[in-house]
Amino acid sequence: MLLEVRDLHVEFRTRDGIAKAVNGVSYGVDAGETLAVLGESGSGKSVTAQAVMGILDMPPGRITGGEILFRDQDLLTLKEEDRRKVRGAGMAMIFQDALSSLNPVLSVGDQLGEMFVVHRGMSKKDARARAVELMDRVRIPGAAQRVRDYPHQFSGGMRQRIMIAMALALEPALIIADEPTTALDVTVQAQVMDLLAELQREYAMALILITHDLGVVADVADRIAVMYAGRIVESAPVHDIYKAPAHPYTRGLLDSIPRLDHKGRELYAIKGLPPNLMDIPPGCAFHPRCPMARDVCRTDPPPLYEVSEARASACHFWQECLHG
Amino acid sequence: MAEPILEVSGLVKHYPLTRGIVFKKRIGAVKAVDGVDFTLGRGETLGIVGESGCGKSTVARLLCSLEQPTAGSIRFKGEEITKLSGRALKAVRRNIQMVFQDPYTSLNPRMTVGDIIGEPYEIHPEAAPKGDRRRKVQELLDVVGLNPEYINRYPHQFSGGQRQRIGIARGLALNPEIIVADEPVSALDVSIQAQVVNLLARLQKEFELSYVFIAHDLSIVRHISDRVGVMYLGRIVEIGTDAQIYDHPTHPYTQALLSAVPVPDPEARAHRERIILSGDVPSPTNVPSGCRFRTRCWKARERCAVEVPALAVPEEFRSTAGPAAHDSACHFAEEKRVVPPEEVA
Repeated sequence: MLLEVRDLHVEFRTRDGIAKAVNGVSYGVDAGETLAVLGESGSGKSVTAQAVMGILDMPPGRITGGEILFRDQDLLTLKEEDRRKVRGAGMAMIFQDALSSLNPVLSVGDQLGEMFVVHRGMSKKDARARAVELMDRVRIPGAAQRVRDYPHQFSGGMRQRIMIAMALALEPALIIADEPTTALDVTVQAQVMDLLAELQREYAMALILITHDLGVVADVADRIAVMYAGRIVESAPVHDIYKAPAHPYTRGLLDSIPRLDHKGRELYAIKGLPPNLMDIPPGCAFHPRCPMARDVCRTDPPPLYEVSEARASACHFWQECLHG
Repeated sequence: MAEPILEVSGLVKHYPLTRGIVFKKRIGAVKAVDGVDFTLGRGETLGIVGESGCGKSTVARLLCSLEQPTAGSIRFKGEEITKLSGRALKAVRRNIQMVFQDPYTSLNPRMTVGDIIGEPYEIHPEAAPKGDRRRKVQELLDVVGLNPEYINRYPHQFSGGQRQRIGIARGLALNPEIIVADEPVSALDVSIQAQVVNLLARLQKEFELSYVFIAHDLSIVRHISDRVGVMYLGRIVEIGTDAQIYDHPTHPYTQALLSAVPVPDPEARAHRERIILSGDVPSPTNVPSGCRFRTRCWKARERCAVEVPALAVPEEFRSTAGPAAHDSACHFAEEKRVVPPEEVA
C-alpha cells in the first residue's frame, strides 16, 4: 500500500460543542489505483483528505487518534519540516475552487515555478521554462505566452488545468483531488477528467478522488469508499457496488438517481436529514433514515463486516441489503 | 401540446458595455439572451438546459419581469407582458413566480420564515386579508412538508433542503399559474435533491402549475420535464419532447452535452462514445458570426460562418414523422444516439 489511513479520528472544537467530523476512517490506495471517496457534505470526506495532506486547520481541528502511513511511515509523527517535504513531492492536492486556491497577485508562471525553486532549488529562469512545459503538458494553448497571465485571465476549465499542472509539478506518487470538477460545466468537466485520467496512467500515480457525483465515480474509479457521518459505511470495487450495494445508504443514493423507467413516478428519496456532527445518533448513525433499521441498529454501532475479500459494509443486515 | 400559457418569441436581452464615467460611451454589449423562442403549455414542464453563461438564468429573470427585455415578446395567456407597467404589471407578476437556486442567499437572514413566506402578501394584499395571513403561511409550510410550528424560526435554523422548501412556499404564496425554477436543486446534496424534485412534481399536480425548470443536471431535467430546450450562448439550439432530445438529438451541441454527462454505471465505461469538445464557450460580448457553436463544432463548414441556422425542423427530417423531426438550429443536423438505451426494468 502506498497510503494507508488507519482508524483516523478528527474533531473540531466549536463554540457550540465538539463536532466529530471523522470517526474511525480506514482506507488504503495502491500505486496507479483510483479510489473514489463518495459522500455528501459533512460526511468527513474532505476533512480526512486534509488530515492526510497535513493541511487541516489546527485548532479548531484536532486529530484524536489513528495513523496515516505513507510508504510505511506514519505522517502524524513527523515534524512539520519533514511533513513539508512529503507535500508536493510525495503527494499533492487539487481543490474544487481553482480561483480561490490560486494566488491572484502572482502570475501562473510564478506560482508553478515556485514549486521548482523551493523544492528543487532551481533558478528562476529554469523554473519558468519548466512552468511552460507543465502548462503544455496539461494542454493550455499558447503556454509560452500565457505563462505571464494571472489566474483571473483564465477560464474555469483552464484554471483547473493549472491546478492540475501544479499538483503534477514534482511528479508525486499520490494525487488527492477534492471535487475537482464540481464547479465546472459538463463539457469542460469531461475534458478535465479525461486529462486527469491520462496523466495518472502516464505517471502511474495513485489518485484519491473525493466527490459526491455517482456518475463521475462510475467513469473513473477502481474502488469506492462511501462515507457517512465520519465513517466509511461501505467499500468495494466499483463494479460490485453499482450492481448490488451492501449498505442501505449506498442503495438509497443509487436509487435516487433519476432513471428512464421511473419517469413520471416519484423518485426514491432517502428520508430525513444528514446527522448533526455534534450529536451523532447512537448505534448506527444512519438508523434514523434507514428503511431497514431494527432495534439492534439503535444501540450497537455496526463494525465493518467483511462481505468478500475486497468488500466491506458497516451494516448489521448487509446480507439482506445485498440480496435484495 | 396543451393550450399555451406562455409564448416567448424573439426574446433579446443585451447589457451595454460602456467606457468613461461622465460621458458614457457604448463600446459593445453582453448578448446574454439573443433571440429565444418557445411556448409553454398549461400544466406542462419545460426544461431548459445549458452551461454557465448560456443565458438561461437571464431568460428566467425576463419571464418573471424582473428585467426588461431589449427586444422580443412574452405573451401570458395571449397578453403581451413586456410593455406592461404599474398595476397591470403587478397583476402579471403575481401569476409568474420564481424559485431561486441558492437557498442560502435568497432568504433574508433577519426575517422569520413566517415573514419571508408572507412577504408577497404585503405587495399583493388582495391575495390574503390581513387577519388570515398567518394561517395561510402555516398552510403553505404544511404543503411543502415543513412543520407549521416553525413559523417563527429564522433561515439559519434550517438545512439547505428545508430552506429550498421555504423558497418554494414563498413562490406558491400568491397561487401563481407559472413557476420559474432556476437551478432549484443544484445546491443540494444528492439525497435531498430527490426529496425536492418529488415535492415540485407533487405541487404541480396539486395546484395545476406550469413549470419552467432551469438546470444543468440533464438527468434531473429529463425526469421532471415534458419538453426540453437546449441553450448555447444566448439561443435555444434544439427543443423537443424529452425523448426527442435525449434519444434522438440532431444538434451537435446537444449530442456533445449528452455524451459528456457521466453515466452512473461502470459497465457503460467501455462501450460509450464520448464527444469531447475542444476549447471554451466564446464570450457573449463577441459572438461568432453565423452559427454560434461553429468555433467548437467538429462539423463546421464555410456555410456555418456565414448563415445563421434557424431553429426549425431540419429539411432532411421534414418529410418523416419520426422522433428526429423536431426543431434544431443546425445546417448539418444528423440524428445520433449518444446515450446508451437504458434497460427498462
